[in-house]
Amino acid sequence: MNSSMLTVSHLTKRFGAKQVLSDVSFTVPEHTVFGFVGQNGAGKTTTMKIILGLLQGDSGEVTVNGVPVRARHNRTNRFIGYLPDVPEFYSYMTPSEYLALCGRISGMSEPAIKKRTSELLELVGLTENRRIHGYSRGMKQRLGIAQALFHRPKLLICDEPTSALDPLGRKEILDILTAAREESTVIFSSHILSDVERICDEMALLHNGTIAMSGTLDEIKQKRRAAAIELEMLTAEDAQALHAEFPFLQTDAGNPARLILSDPQALPGILSRISASDMPFQRIVRLEPTLEDLFMEVIKK
Amino acid sequence: MRAFIKKEWLENIRTGRAVSLVIVFILFGIMSPAFAKLTPWMMNMFAGSLEESGLTVTVVTVDALTSWTQFYKNFPLALIIFILLCSSSFTGEYQKGTLVPIITKGLPLYKVMLAKSIMLFLLWSVCYALCFGITLAYTAYFWDNRAMSHLGSAALYCWIFGILVLALMIFFSCIARTGTQVLLFTGGSIVLFYALGMIPRISDYMPTRLMDGLPLLQSISAPSDYTAAIICACVLAVLCIVAAIPCIERQAAA
Repeated sequence: MNSSMLTVSHLTKRFGAKQVLSDVSFTVPEHTVFGFVGQNGAGKTTTMKIILGLLQGDSGEVTVNGVPVRARHNRTNRFIGYLPDVPEFYSYMTPSEYLALCGRISGMSEPAIKKRTSELLELVGLTENRRIHGYSRGMKQRLGIAQALFHRPKLLICDEPTSALDPLGRKEILDILTAAREESTVIFSSHILSDVERICDEMALLHNGTIAMSGTLDEIKQKRRAAAIELEMLTAEDAQALHAEFPFLQTDAGNPARLILSDPQALPGILSRISASDMPFQRIVRLEPTLEDLFMEVIKK
Repeated sequence: MRAFIKKEWLENIRTGRAVSLVIVFILFGIMSPAFAKLTPWMMNMFAGSLEESGLTVTVVTVDALTSWTQFYKNFPLALIIFILLCSSSFTGEYQKGTLVPIITKGLPLYKVMLAKSIMLFLLWSVCYALCFGITLAYTAYFWDNRAMSHLGSAALYCWIFGILVLALMIFFSCIARTGTQVLLFTGGSIVLFYALGMIPRISDYMPTRLMDGLPLLQSISAPSDYTAAIICACVLAVLCIVAAIPCIERQAAA
């Protein structure tokens, strides 16, 4: 087991009458990509701001790389690279000037800054050196990643990095984040579950200010009740015949040839019936639980 | 912090703020002596029409004092333009969120504030020096500045007043959220100084007195008459900057 890069324990935060976080706890092991999932307004950004020391939690503790985070005296920020949800930069600068500013603030030497700048601009694909003014959202997002990675942080925190991008831009960002795992631990918040499924090792689901679910993706999927089985017959008549015999099968109004079996125990009986009467079928598949199903399940509770 | 001062410098140059301010202050510098020089000529031009309406124009004499009177009339306007152009230096960054990547890299906000202050004071000094220097040179060329006493002190006092107004603006920038609020608060405090200046017992302490340099040039008052106002202005300016430190740290929560 890796040691943990980030520990959040029993964190609470209230804005006026609104309890945004109540008892949030989770750990992020080193060199993982950690998905932080939740609806809009679930408290993801607030949690991240507390980790960054931009906000003070009401109670609870946060440690980054073993060092406790103190709001506004954020020593721990030297371990962290942060990509805000809508990153904004000085539009009159060129990307390399901006990155040089970041490097100087982090206390890097001039030759190191130069080397790292060309490395990162290459990585995020911003090699033409025109001013940031007039950059598209995707380009700003990529520059945002470059500035966040600039000082080789141990922990990279990205707030909804893919939410506003087109599919190509999203893929590029996800690829960069996956590559970043080599050097850092990555946390990214999202409500795009396919992105989480694509690159995360572990995830936590934040709902109503608490962690509703957390663990590795496999663990989480196994926690869900047994998956259903889908039977699609070639003809609607066969489907009706089966449904008449096995009334616990669910029908699909949109596709009369399709049936859903929620109890896999009954499958052998149905299969022998199909083979006995030689019914032609389109497919019989086990439905994999998707994160989306899980998400909906938790939200509805 | 040096990196951030460099960034401020680049911002002032590339956004054209520095150039606009330098041009405005050069214009103001030329305007005062030019206006004085042109007054007799204008009077002659209008003499005819004025006579028709029953006014006789006698010979108008202009001298260095006319030029400096104009300078002191123009100074508040130049200062207002300076404040207007610089008032969003802080609030613009809060609103756009451009400071977030900077402070999450560990640069404390008070250093951001100090870097901005240094840059603003520097810009003000250069602009003011240009404006004053040009008026001084033209006035010396057309008339004679030797008739004016305490020119150096008079120049310094206006500069100090500018520094105080900037310090106020910086302090309010650390409390307020928008540029408009900064302007309102800064303007409000100057009006307050003027209002308090009407009370004879405390008028000597009011920093606004520093803008009233003409009696100094005419030897009606001595530089020492301004000591109280200078001390008040300096103390207040230092207080503003010191008080701005905890205030800007609180802005981080946004």
